[in-house]
Amino acid sequence: MSDSKKTTTTNYPERTVGLLAEYATPEAILEAAYRVRESGYTKWDTHAPFPVHGMDDAMGIKMTVLPWIVLACGIFGGASGLLMQWWMNAYDYPFYVSGKPLFSIPANIPITFEATILLSSFGAFFGMLGLNKLPQLWNPLFRSDLFRRATDNQFFITIDARDPQFNENQTTQLLRDTGAAVVDPVKKVDRPVRIPPTLHYVGLIFTLFAIIPPAVIVAARASTKTEPRVHPIPNMDWQAKIKPQRANPLFVDDRGARLPVPGTIARGELHEDDHFYRGVVGEAWAKSFPEQISIDAKTMDRGQQRFKIYCSACHGLAGDGQGMVHLRAVERQEPTWRPPSVLFDGPVRQQPIGQLFNTITHGVRNMPAYGPQIPTEDRWAILLYVRALQRSHNATIEDVPEDLRAALQ
Amino acid sequence: MHNTKTINIDDDNRFLGDLGPRLTLGGGVIGISGIFLALLLSVARDNGLAHFFHSYLLNFTFFLSIALGALFFVATQHLSAAGWSVTIRRIAEFMAWLLPWMLVLFLPVLFSVLFGSSDLYHWNNAAVMNPDSDHFNELLAKKQSFLNPSFFGVRAVIYFGIWFLLSRYLITKSIEQDATGDPELTNKMQRFSAPTLVLFALTISFAAFDWIMTLDAEWFSTIFGVYYFAGSALGFFATAILIGVALQGSGRLTHSITIEHYHDMGKFLFGFIVFWAYIAFSQYMLMWYANMPEETHWFLVRQENGWEWVSLTLLFGHFFIPFLYLMSRHIKRNKVTLCVGAIYVLIVHWIDLYWLVMPSLPHHEFGLGGLLIDLTCLIGLGGLCVAGFAYVAGERSLIPERDPRLGECLAFKNM
Repeated sequence: MSDSKKTTTTNYPERTVGLLAEYATPEAILEAAYRVRESGYTKWDTHAPFPVHGMDDAMGIKMTVLPWIVLACGIFGGASGLLMQWWMNAYDYPFYVSGKPLFSIPANIPITFEATILLSSFGAFFGMLGLNKLPQLWNPLFRSDLFRRATDNQFFITIDARDPQFNENQTTQLLRDTGAAVVDPVKKVDRPVRIPPTLHYVGLIFTLFAIIPPAVIVAARASTKTEPRVHPIPNMDWQAKIKPQRANPLFVDDRGARLPVPGTIARGELHEDDHFYRGVVGEAWAKSFPEQISIDAKTMDRGQQRFKIYCSACHGLAGDGQGMVHLRAVERQEPTWRPPSVLFDGPVRQQPIGQLFNTITHGVRNMPAYGPQIPTEDRWAILLYVRALQRSHNATIEDVPEDLRAALQ
Repeated sequence: MHNTKTINIDDDNRFLGDLGPRLTLGGGVIGISGIFLALLLSVARDNGLAHFFHSYLLNFTFFLSIALGALFFVATQHLSAAGWSVTIRRIAEFMAWLLPWMLVLFLPVLFSVLFGSSDLYHWNNAAVMNPDSDHFNELLAKKQSFLNPSFFGVRAVIYFGIWFLLSRYLITKSIEQDATGDPELTNKMQRFSAPTLVLFALTISFAAFDWIMTLDAEWFSTIFGVYYFAGSALGFFATAILIGVALQGSGRLTHSITIEHYHDMGKFLFGFIVFWAYIAFSQYMLMWYANMPEETHWFLVRQENGWEWVSLTLLFGHFFIPFLYLMSRHIKRNKVTLCVGAIYVLIVHWIDLYWLVMPSLPHHEFGLGGLLIDLTCLIGLGGLCVAGFAYVAGERSLIPERDPRLGECLAFKNM
């Protein structure tokens, strides 16, 4: 590369910016490095194809400050990760995820950890480059054919001419004394940096093209369109079938989604038995359990189990309205909360069993409908248990078995 | 020449010499008396025998973890053709060679299970497995085909058998190389290390499941084996540092173990602190987040009745403090500060195992009485392990005399 433009470089002044000394072995360069340092030079460097152990010591290189940069970046990364999650999830848009607190440290650890690691590695990578003043476009050493061997099998010392002790003759002599096989001056041509004319045009065209994507985006955001967007690969995206929200002009109301014909009943869904399915006898709420429900211990056990599963969360295990959901609502001072009913007393006790059945099935006030969740038999079983709860709070001594009465009296 | 400095270990004292029999005898005496003292102290209490067994298990798994960590180290150093660690590898080999001895130390636990005691393992109880009994536990009964004394015993024999075979090969070949200097032995040990590590991973996981996780057999964690392994590696590196410093303090291996080796062991100690924290947190976070009582009850026990303080001690003491302490290069390159770190890590590793094992002791109370039993057991088993180490070392050299990478090891310099 240094040969091709020789004719043009002779028109410009060359100056020596340093000296390049070549050594054949790591031991030689190590020893030379000690000598150069001891001679008081400060602006110099060594180059080798592989790290030479002990070179730090020989050159007097102090411990790098990079670990502290990494530490600072790591701490900053961790704090930022934590702050980001707090701000996003607890402050700016408070959002409950899986019932965990808005600012929940265990849940926030993975992201905080990753942010710490990420910023630490950025600190290490960019810090290392920065401390080495990299990237650099060019170095006068690249003109030297001799220096090519630095990545192969030779070792070099370069001493910068800006070093206060630099004297071309004396420094060359010193390097020869340390056993350098060759000592070359490093020359730099003081020629104004010229960008080739074509690059100006290339740059201009590239810049113009680069404006296009942002311009398109701005135009798109500032306007509305009536045509649908371009869909290059149709595949099976449009199919000849009616999907729920699609129009169907065959019908007067243009709707594709149709309700079943009034009076349609699915197989097995002809729930004719009003008593069993609706808790209604004639025009009034049923006052007794339907025939299908056998009043025995098995139904009672089932009812108790189902009550614990579905009802106790709000109504409490004793049916006293002190379930976990209620207690939590009180703790949170929910303004629109109405306490769940007490099941063993008051209005609920007065209601006919059919009305209670209807309440479970369709819900009432804040209570949602449990009909879809609880099969009909289970609803009646729950009601049997509720009756037991009611009985337990309104019992007389005669209700207690004889052999246990003594314990109460 | 300024920089070249040859290390000559010809004059190093590379043998335990008469220190060996003294350690074996002293360790043995302290060991046996320690354990008997622990037993005496425990029968004086209510719930004493159960406490004794829990203490014994705690301390047994503590020393086992160190020996297993040593096996792991030997195998990984061979497999990666490591040169830096040659002069500390023999110490690790002696530690790993304690694994067969650990079977003897395990016998009290094994016999207690085989003779039907459910002081330790509640699944070892016929009533628990019997559907007609009041104490029937359906969950445990479903695991009966695995959790029964016979299979438990068979598995224990298999673990120790595998550890015996693995450590024996690696150690005998290494000792053989002292005499013959045959470099092919290094290749053989390297090849053998690959299946060693696979078997190591499996056996340490299942041993941790069997001996620690089944203390609460309704709970399970798939990462439990890895958790025990993390602590095990920590235990090894801390102990290796201390043994190195102790030997050099007694005038042995003066030039064989350099500050570079301690620096690297310190780095491993640091790395495994981070690894342990990662595994511990993974185990905790998943169960915390899913919030399923089936999994969380194990942690719930460890955040009530005073256990919350132990848990916090682990969080700060087993992670944050050693992390910040061992991060410093200067601390790792100073034998005194590094030893402080190593002792500290061993203490928190013991507390970690305490936190794993002791909550399953019924009616556990924090107090001096219980702690005394735990500590006498610690000294007892520790004495026996020191005796074992000295016995195994015997007349053998404390470094691999003719390992082909010995020169590389002594010349090793950290950047």
